[in-house]
Amino acid sequence: MVETLLTESNAASHLEARGVHVWFGQRQVLQDVNLVFPSNQVTALIGPSGCGKSTFIRTLNRMHELIPGAGFAGQILLDGKDIYEDGTDAVDVRLRVGMVFQKPNPFPTMSIRENVLAGLRLTGKKNPNMDELVETSLRRASIWNEVKDRLNDPALSLSGGQQQRLCIARSLAMDPAVLLMDEPCSALDPGSTRRVEETIEELADQMTIVIVTHNMQQAQRVSHQTAFFLSEDGNPGGVVEFGTTEQVFNQPIDPRTNDYVNGHFG
Amino acid sequence: MTATQIQTSTIKPTNPWAKRNKARTRDVAVASVLPAILAAAVYFVGTAMGATVDPAVLLILGFLPLQLVSAFVVGKKYYGRHGREDALLIVVTIFLSTFVMVLLLSVLWSVISAGAIALRPSFILQNSHYISGTTSLDYGGAGHAIIGTVLAVAIATILTVPLGFGIAVYLTETGGKARGLIRTLVQALSGLPSVVSGLFIYSILVLMGWQTTGFSGSLALLPLMLPTVSRVSEEALRLVPVDLRNGALALGSPTWQAFAKVVFPAARSGLLTAVLLGVARIVGETAPLVLTTTYNNDTNLNPFNGPMAMLPTFIFGYIRNMYDTSIQRGWGGCLVIMILVGVLFVGARVANRKKK
Amino acid sequence: MSPQGDTKIPARRQLVTKPSRRADKVFFGLTSVAANFSIVLILLILGFLLFQAWPAFQSQGFSFFSGETWDSSATPQIFQIGPMLWGSVLVALLGMVIALPLAISLAYFIEFMAARKIAAVATTLVDLLAAIPSIVIGLWGFAVFGPVAQHWAALLHDYLGWIPYVFYHEGSNYGGSPFIAGLVVSVMIVPIITSVTREIFSQMDRDVINASIALGAGRAATFRKVILPTASGGIVGGALLGLGRALGETIAIFFVLNLVFHINFFQVINGEGGTVASMIVSKFGEADAPERSALMASGIVLFVLTLLISALSSYIVKKAQPWRTN
Repeated sequence: MVETLLTESNAASHLEARGVHVWFGQRQVLQDVNLVFPSNQVTALIGPSGCGKSTFIRTLNRMHELIPGAGFAGQILLDGKDIYEDGTDAVDVRLRVGMVFQKPNPFPTMSIRENVLAGLRLTGKKNPNMDELVETSLRRASIWNEVKDRLNDPALSLSGGQQQRLCIARSLAMDPAVLLMDEPCSALDPGSTRRVEETIEELADQMTIVIVTHNMQQAQRVSHQTAFFLSEDGNPGGVVEFGTTEQVFNQPIDPRTNDYVNGHFG
Repeated sequence: MTATQIQTSTIKPTNPWAKRNKARTRDVAVASVLPAILAAAVYFVGTAMGATVDPAVLLILGFLPLQLVSAFVVGKKYYGRHGREDALLIVVTIFLSTFVMVLLLSVLWSVISAGAIALRPSFILQNSHYISGTTSLDYGGAGHAIIGTVLAVAIATILTVPLGFGIAVYLTETGGKARGLIRTLVQALSGLPSVVSGLFIYSILVLMGWQTTGFSGSLALLPLMLPTVSRVSEEALRLVPVDLRNGALALGSPTWQAFAKVVFPAARSGLLTAVLLGVARIVGETAPLVLTTTYNNDTNLNPFNGPMAMLPTFIFGYIRNMYDTSIQRGWGGCLVIMILVGVLFVGARVANRKKK
Repeated sequence: MSPQGDTKIPARRQLVTKPSRRADKVFFGLTSVAANFSIVLILLILGFLLFQAWPAFQSQGFSFFSGETWDSSATPQIFQIGPMLWGSVLVALLGMVIALPLAISLAYFIEFMAARKIAAVATTLVDLLAAIPSIVIGLWGFAVFGPVAQHWAALLHDYLGWIPYVFYHEGSNYGGSPFIAGLVVSVMIVPIITSVTREIFSQMDRDVINASIALGAGRAATFRKVILPTASGGIVGGALLGLGRALGETIAIFFVLNLVFHINFFQVINGEGGTVASMIVSKFGEADAPERSALMASGIVLFVLTLLISALSSYIVKKAQPWRTN
């Protein structure tokens, strides 16, 4: 049982996408995405490269709008409230929806400890128990034992897999209600991948997780639900099938889903 | 479980983050414009009432604090804690950037407006043979100085470019052991103060008892041009994909042929850029020329004999004169130099764009 | 296949590409000549100058660097560059202190604030302005900016003159002070530092910045706590590059300086001071042999100073960015 130590604790949240359409400039890349991400569950987004999964996940923490020429329509509801509603600060959204990126990106000038606490430093949040928070976050990210004796070493002295788990710890220290993961293991070796997947499994009942992955075995291992994205012939991508992981992989409705999960393309 | 057919729709992006919240837009507009209006009002009213209002003081002690405060208030109101510091950052950045650009554009503007007064056909075509510091601008010109600069820069270029290219080729093509050393030395050379380069050539002239000529000026410009040509050419050669050269070598071509027939043509535009930038670097250099050439009011077409005027020394001499017309001639010379620099700069850009 | 038992690893062979054909030999030879020329050139510069400067170093001793007298008509002649040497450093430091915040601001604006089109225009402008020759800045500094800067100096004196020493000023003419020279020098070096800083900003790993934003950091927090620290090494390198350039600046400040042989430590708006480079240009015309030797000596000192700064800059850049793999 893990304690969250921030004064305002975010219990896991329910996230929903309604009628989401996404553009880059004039080109529409996603069309009519409707998904539900129930709290305390892991949802995997699968599909071939370039069909918009990473783009979609960036609409969930309002980082898509940072790209020049970005276009969006629809709603993203976090616990029932649209995060794109007028007057909602994107920064506040990101405090509740964390993100782990494909390539590990610890802050190069900071030590391991400083990286974990970076979120608090950057947002001005105070916490009376910094050391405890560091340990808790690193434990949750399954990396405490490897770094507990060298917290002040530069973050870049860690291996790729360790850096990624450090980034997870960094996100966790902010106690987000939702954690987004954009292909978190694609830059890692199999050993590190396994460790990160174990971490995800352990986190699964504490928070809502949305994970983009190319690796279908990974999707089957860690997720409760799966959404299959596809874009055909240069048309905007969309969700072809969405359901429990069991159903999507073993009894897919759509023939395209069947082809994909059986490795016929992608 | 749902499965959907993907259909094209006719929905347009709404971009909710970009929506104009009326109250917020109004507040931001007011916060951006009000301090400026207030400051301007204070200035005009104060001056009208006979008080002396110093613009610099008004700007720093009046406008800037007002602007910071209003941005602070609006930032905090709409974006909370981070909004305050973000607003301050934006105000400070725009203020300082504007200050810099005003200064720099003032230089350009001065050259163009003040130089235009002196610029006329006679300025380009005539020399200063009969001209004193106070002669009207209708007579005389900088033609001799223009010729001098062209000749000196041409000679310096002819000498420097083979050396610069040679160094660049040495650094990229051969496996020479001295490469690290050469690179460090070239970098050290790039920090050579221009006046020291002039002193160097001057010391040779004195030692050997030679006279100052256009050529001695070119020699003083060489060490200043060399690092630029060498560095930019090296970059241009490095940009050629290694596979191109390796392909030629793998086919059995000797190194020099691989270079001449494959690498060089591919890097051609980059090498041209190197030359243009090198010329732009030295065309306005003054201190080395002051030490190694002697000014001449007449036209001298022989760079190897006798004093020779050049644009930088032309301008330098006229500034020292300090008469109004002299200063105007100086501006004219500056405008000519800036036109030359501008042409070279545009040429370098165009050459760069031709790169694939 | 792993080596077992007594398998010895053979000695490493030297792999050197030596030209074999005649044409290649010529090719390699020519380029080596060019490369060696750079070695020869630096040696010649140092050598010639040292040779001519030696008499001055010998006769003046260590007080060449610290003393305040320059008198070519005295017997024996005294040549001391103390005020000029300090003046070079003071003016260059002032220039950099003024230029650095301006350059970082402008670079931040271009890279992280402006719309793409504006950023492109601003970048082109800055690159063009970096090419402005110092004589043009010199004339501008004298004829256009000088009066404005003098006015600012007067304001500084009026408002901040109560601070002891620093803003002390004699007389009513505010020209020829390190303050004005520093301002003009900063105009010269701002484009260079801006270009370098902007380049560093643009090459920063965008993922690191995205990580900061994803954690909920605002613009200012990201800039202060992520962008600046990560770019700090490169920025310092750029600043030192500007400093080196400022030290060698001759003509740009020639007309706004008052060459006075009295060390002016920090009275920045007082009209005394000078720089080594300006002194060389102003005195070399009528110098006899011993004085010329002293000027050569000054030139060497200046060159050594800029070499040191350049080396320091490279070192700092390497040291401050140990995470850089390139």
